[in-house]
Amino acid sequence: MTPPAIVERALAEGLGMIAVCDHNSARNAAAVQEAAGARLAVLAGMEITTVEECHVVALFPDAAAAQAAGAEVGATLGQIDDGYGTFFGEQRVLAADGGERARETLALATATTLDVEAAVELVHGHGGLAIAAHIDRRSFGVIGQLGLFPAAAGFDAVELSRHVAAGSPDEARFAVHGLPMVYSSDAHYQSDIGAARTVVYCERPTFAELALALAGADGRSVGDA
Amino acid sequence: MKLEDIARELGLTELTPEVTGNAEAEIERGYASDLLSDVLAHAPEGGVLITLQVHLNVIAVASHAELAAVIFAGDRRPDDDVRAKAVAEAVSLFVSPADTFDIVGRLYALGVKGNHA
Repeated sequence: MTPPAIVERALAEGLGMIAVCDHNSARNAAAVQEAAGARLAVLAGMEITTVEECHVVALFPDAAAAQAAGAEVGATLGQIDDGYGTFFGEQRVLAADGGERARETLALATATTLDVEAAVELVHGHGGLAIAAHIDRRSFGVIGQLGLFPAAAGFDAVELSRHVAAGSPDEARFAVHGLPMVYSSDAHYQSDIGAARTVVYCERPTFAELALALAGADGRSVGDA
Repeated sequence: MKLEDIARELGLTELTPEVTGNAEAEIERGYASDLLSDVLAHAPEGGVLITLQVHLNVIAVASHAELAAVIFAGDRRPDDDVRAKAVAEAVSLFVSPADTFDIVGRLYALGVKGNHA
């Protein structure tokens, strides 16, 4: 997945806004924003792995905030060793044209030392939104890892995976947490892009508007696609 | 075997001395898992849990599953709020420098068994 390929696929899928959320890193977000230009709204994000091995989707107001948060997250990770790439793949930092700028040497596939509460606090500290990732999944979602939804952590929304049908009893099961529900593809491959989507009722596709929609403020809201 | 005897035999450090009601409890069953949703579904009532998780939800899950005690493996220690919640819920907490495998092995040798023994 290169920045141009991600943008083309998202446009072909008819998406109006995407978020780039590498595991425990925000180093590729700006390149995708640059590749998109004015054609597609691209949020700078990150998928943080907490010490409990819960995934937290973090979305930031801009790439600089994401980078700053990413640096704090990265400071809790160890370095990769020889066998790492064989199992987890190469960690390329790409330019807007898809060329390789650098290789990340932090072990991004491992857990950070942040617990769920600390991760949410870190995200909020950089002006971001913290979303409990794929809470329907048995592994790496907060409910799977922690048994019960950690209401006190202060999440802004919960994310459901493509495996939950919109409007299904399954979906209703997760509505009980009283937080807005978003669907996203969690795309690890280009072909995943657009596999799940959320309708955001707002003025324009921006971080600020999304924040209003998740808060249900000023007539903005989110709903099923 | 009584919980206090298990603690002594395994050299566990007790984190909740305020919880006195469980010392004499007979522990017959145990469960080891780090997925708390799995603990909630399968841990045996009155049993002991061995886990690496030190999140506050361990106490909620242990209380709901009516466990007598939790042993944190690998010298992982919970924060004070977790300990306080355990005291309030009368769940005894222990910590051991040993890893999960060794703790379970020693419990088994003392006659504490799993759900399928």
